[in-house]
Amino acid sequence: MKNASEGSPSLFRVKKVVVLTTAMLTFIPFWKAAAVVLCDFGSSAFYAGGIAMRAFGPAFPWYILAVMLFSGLLLMVELEACSLFVRGGAYKIVREGLGDTAAKLAASALIFDFILTGPISAVTAGHYLCGLANSFLEMAGLSFTLPEGGISVVFGLLVTVYFWRQNVKGIEESSSKSAKIIAFSLAVCFLLAIWSFITIGLRGAHMPPAALSFSPESLGWAGHIDWMKTIGLVGMFMAFGHSVLALSGIETLSQVYREIEYPKAQNLKKAAWLIFGFALLFTGGLTFLSAVIIPPELIAAKYNDNLLSGLAMSLAGPGILKLLMQVMVVVCGVAMLSGAVNTSLIGSNALMNRIAEDGILTDWFRKIHRRYGTSYHIIHLIAAVQMIVVLVSRGNVYLLGEAYAFGVMWCFVLEVVAIARLRWKKASQKRDFMFPLNIKYENYYIPVGLILLSGFLLTVALVNMTTKQIATVAGFGFTAFLFAVFSLSERLNAKKANTMFEEGYRERINAETVDDLKEAFSELDRPHRVLVAVKNPENLYHLEEVLSKVNADETDVIVLYCKPVENVLYRQDMRSAAVDEHEVFTAVIFLAEKYGLSVTPVLVHSNDAFYAIAQAAAVADAREVVMGVSGRHGANPQLERAVMTWGAVKDRELSHPVTLRILWEGREVSYRFTR
Amino acid sequence: MPSNEQSKLSLGSLITPNRVLFAQGRPGKKELIEALVRTVCRDYPQLDPADVASQVLKREEGISTTLDTGLSIPHARLEELGDFTAALAVLPEPLRDQTNSDLSIRVMFLFLSPAKPAFFQKHLQILSTLAETFKPEFIQELVSLQDAGAVAARLAR
Repeated sequence: MKNASEGSPSLFRVKKVVVLTTAMLTFIPFWKAAAVVLCDFGSSAFYAGGIAMRAFGPAFPWYILAVMLFSGLLLMVELEACSLFVRGGAYKIVREGLGDTAAKLAASALIFDFILTGPISAVTAGHYLCGLANSFLEMAGLSFTLPEGGISVVFGLLVTVYFWRQNVKGIEESSSKSAKIIAFSLAVCFLLAIWSFITIGLRGAHMPPAALSFSPESLGWAGHIDWMKTIGLVGMFMAFGHSVLALSGIETLSQVYREIEYPKAQNLKKAAWLIFGFALLFTGGLTFLSAVIIPPELIAAKYNDNLLSGLAMSLAGPGILKLLMQVMVVVCGVAMLSGAVNTSLIGSNALMNRIAEDGILTDWFRKIHRRYGTSYHIIHLIAAVQMIVVLVSRGNVYLLGEAYAFGVMWCFVLEVVAIARLRWKKASQKRDFMFPLNIKYENYYIPVGLILLSGFLLTVALVNMTTKQIATVAGFGFTAFLFAVFSLSERLNAKKANTMFEEGYRERINAETVDDLKEAFSELDRPHRVLVAVKNPENLYHLEEVLSKVNADETDVIVLYCKPVENVLYRQDMRSAAVDEHEVFTAVIFLAEKYGLSVTPVLVHSNDAFYAIAQAAAVADAREVVMGVSGRHGANPQLERAVMTWGAVKDRELSHPVTLRILWEGREVSYRFTR
Repeated sequence: MPSNEQSKLSLGSLITPNRVLFAQGRPGKKELIEALVRTVCRDYPQLDPADVASQVLKREEGISTTLDTGLSIPHARLEELGDFTAALAVLPEPLRDQTNSDLSIRVMFLFLSPAKPAFFQKHLQILSTLAETFKPEFIQELVSLQDAGAVAARLAR
């Protein structure tokens, strides 16, 4: 179909065509999403066991295994949180459920842990590298060893600087790379496991003891509280508390959720299962095998900071093969741990940005890099603090581990309580998943399971407060400091905050002007197309209806926004009524993310939206054109105008029927062209 | 989902010679609509011309019914009607559409439909067919005709 006639004004109805692209509309399969999470969450396998061993002795594998099993419950919490689709992870969930103050506290605590995740991962990677170098030196018969602390600090700083630059430049690591790392890790894990079982078969094995043997430093203040020592269960909570750092990175699931492809809910569950299975085998399984195969004295003396290297070097077999195995473990470890450094920067930057969007942070934090478009002030700040932490730690992984997990625990406490509270506040909202153990009462699902879980988390967090002195002092200090910064900044920003809140979040969108509509749709390759015209970001019911029902394998969804350029229909200059396209497409992307479906956003500058829609639909060969209702004109006049315009533009028989639909609040008017 | 078996609209059944007006001078859009309404209402005693004109003009205040081709289709859906009816004005001199300054009206097709929901799909079909039929070449041909009979005959062809 072409324009109605030569020289008629319709030739000029579409004045400019802009194709919009954003990385946010690229969706990934569940296994890639799981890989992204595991690159962070799985990396704790490289340090959690060693830290736990130093804290409470050879019983550590039981507790790491218990924490990994427990991670299944937390993944279920994340599933319910994600199903609420409150974009922004734990911070936004807590804000929705418990209000601003609790959200600021949760964010402050979480940032504390993000800041520690980078150093603990980078320093551990340094230990693994240095351990490998020392193994080579030992094999070469050289008597000296490299200083692990110093080298791990240098390596930690290098990794942090590398990802600092990458993040400032806005270069994101691809999920494909994460998937390759995880595939390699899986191979290493199986190889290690098989070899370990052979070793056990050859040498025999004893199960790790269950008895706890706390070091004075790991008892913290609890060492001075006599009654705590008399209750066995308290000890178990203490040991569990010293092991929860193995959960590091689990919150990444809520960050990656927006990228998961359709069908979102099912794919999220599959990703969660995959994460759970891998973490149980990789972190839980390998830590357990390490405890079975490596003598506790050797762990304490040599492999506290690189436990899995110790496992490789303690296997039965020729030294050269063991060294090769260690190389593989170190490659795997450095890749995963470095990924965790990057994720910590991305995560904390994203979290700070969410806070800034709410008007809590001043403009200084929101400043965008002129060249790369990233919030570089925030990235600078986080990277600088992480490097200070690396230096202060002097490469002591245990020290970092002792400080760690404050934020994760308290953030989870607040998040679980918030999700439980949302069962009442948002009782009517559909949830694709609910944490188990619920009692239905009238319209509510009383979250018995969540209440029990929050009780357990709270107990562990309180016990940790007494045992993990460094975490308590540093965590409270940092959280209080950050909370004060947020509160002060919010107050200073009070006048601007409302404006910023009204402006809301804007998705980063690349706009590319193309010659015509044909070029705009040239990359669509599915057999059918649906064109959805959008105008008001507050009125996207019709788009949601389409996204919720479309057959994504067979249909391309084009989202068209016609930006008015001058008056044609309403006796006034419509340019003043034009909505910022960023606002419109941010809302569109939000919905696309919600359903995990890619859409093709196109912006046309036009002096007549109906002509632009008809022309775009004709060029795209759309089978359906869907519009929202205009509050000003009503659905019937809209449909009348649409069919008239369609008739005027149409110049040949249709090869297939085309349906024009106007949708609003469960209602629809439509017209079907059959010829 | 309503389905439409679209058959070619017989314009001849809607527009007879006595339903064709040749605009004289430079009438305004409102006057032209009122004249067309009066023409139709002559055959429908149950219709009050003032009321019908008011409904059509009210609809015109919303989304424009003038197309790029030079066709304007003022219309309304009336409770009193049991079938579709119409009248046509041919404008030898183009009329600037006041609601849309870059469009000129060369032919105005007043179209009245029954208000019952059962007729809505047919109403839309007729609107679409009118827009498809009245392309610039066709409009030019109508404008060049000299009398109402010739116009009605051309539409019936």
